Amino acid sequence: MVGKNCFAIASDRRLGVQLQTVATDFQRVFKIHGKLYIGLSGLASDAQTLYQRLVFKHKLYQLREERDMKPETFASLVSSMLYEKRFGPYFCQPIIAGLGQDDEPFICTMDCIGAKELAKDFVVSGTASESLYGACESMYKPNMEPEELFETISQALLSSVDRDCLSGWGGYVLIVTPTEVQERILKGRMD
Amino acid sequence: PPHFPQIPHPNPRNPSLAAADPSADLPAAAEMSRRYDSRTTIFSPEGRLYQVEYAMEAIGNAGSALGILAADGVVLVGEKKVTSKLLQSSRSAEKMYKIDSHLACAVAGIMSDANILINTARLHAQRYALSYQEPIPVEQLVQSLCDTKQGYTQFGGLRPFGVSFLFAGWDKNHGFQLYMSDPSGNYGGWKAAAVGANSQAAQSMLKQDYKDGMTREEAVALALKVLSKTMDSTSLTADKLELAEVFVQPGTGEVQYQVCSPDAMGKLLAKAGLTQPAPEA
Repeated sequence: MVGKNCFAIASDRRLGVQLQTVATDFQRVFKIHGKLYIGLSGLASDAQTLYQRLVFKHKLYQLREERDMKPETFASLVSSMLYEKRFGPYFCQPIIAGLGQDDEPFICTMDCIGAKELAKDFVVSGTASESLYGACESMYKPNMEPEELFETISQALLSSVDRDCLSGWGGYVLIVTPTEVQERILKGRMD
Repeated sequence: PPHFPQIPHPNPRNPSLAAADPSADLPAAAEMSRRYDSRTTIFSPEGRLYQVEYAMEAIGNAGSALGILAADGVVLVGEKKVTSKLLQSSRSAEKMYKIDSHLACAVAGIMSDANILINTARLHAQRYALSYQEPIPVEQLVQSLCDTKQGYTQFGGLRPFGVSFLFAGWDKNHGFQLYMSDPSGNYGGWKAAAVGANSQAAQSMLKQDYKDGMTREEAVALALKVLSKTMDSTSLTADKLELAEVFVQPGTGEVQYQVCSPDAMGKLLAKAGLTQPAPEA
């Protein structure tokens, strides 16, 4: 979600195989650099592999260009990596959030073969995405300060995952401003 | 091993002899050694690889670089050979290159050759990190780069790389390390090493003054002192030198590679009593 000169990215913490819950502390939001994060929902193995490959590419980019990648550029990179596997895709839906030029918040999502979708307000992905769309649409308002943004995204997340049996077991929220990053763990319905 | 095209090589003394076999007809003894110059892939009768030695000659004319292993880090100092005021000052370093977050190198020799090898090193380090999800041990990276360099001395008919490297890094197995490698593909772990112009003189000075367990500060001072004595330039100014250190950040425990800014460089030189007035432009 985009706020005033900041953004928030959040995920649930469940890792499951259909009805079996395997982990309740699964990391789905990954850091690329201080002002760029990617959330990967879908197949856990693909999420981890995709993240590792992105770190590979970003590290080389950093070494050659001597700077961090801009979020827009990174989104294009993810999109092209996904499309490379057009006929044998990564079963992942990424959410990219970062602070770009002049610390302007940037968010986007794409489908599992790289169709980018930019948004000015919020982007969602995962098994509870339909609930999330509804919750975000009703709770979101533009230019929220970090504290209010945190409240909004947390409520939207928890209320949506409660309606989805495959999501839940708490939440993980990251608020990123130009000066600091706040990480918080949410305790929701643990089921 | 890398695949190199087999380039048919005519004998430069007698072009009509295509790919002459040196062991065939025997010319006059004085001319004999010249026949072994042209190909990297053969030994001379005295058991030397001339092309490799010529590559080292090329490095002996390049700007020098020094590396010193300290107890709490590794220090790399380089001399910038070309300092014309027409040169567009770029942010990036000329002698020091980061290879991964925990590994860096200083180069001496032909810069274009160095760029190729540095790219190879960076890719290799990332591929290792992708497979094993941990940073590449320093010696392994050095070894793989040296394997590449060795390939160019044994097959393909391509000339060796005209670069010597000083690698500085940290890994959890052996802590801080310093390695020196040359065009032959040989490498060694060193406590202090020098490459480039006047490296022999620098090396013997380092041998005298190096003490085990020196701190990074002492190592920097020693490096600057040695360089000031071996460098050709009459005045040692901050814009002729590059300094980089690999150390562990005290707060986070992360390995850091830091290049000294020109201002900090100036202060260090002043502290070591080495600044001299810049010549009138």
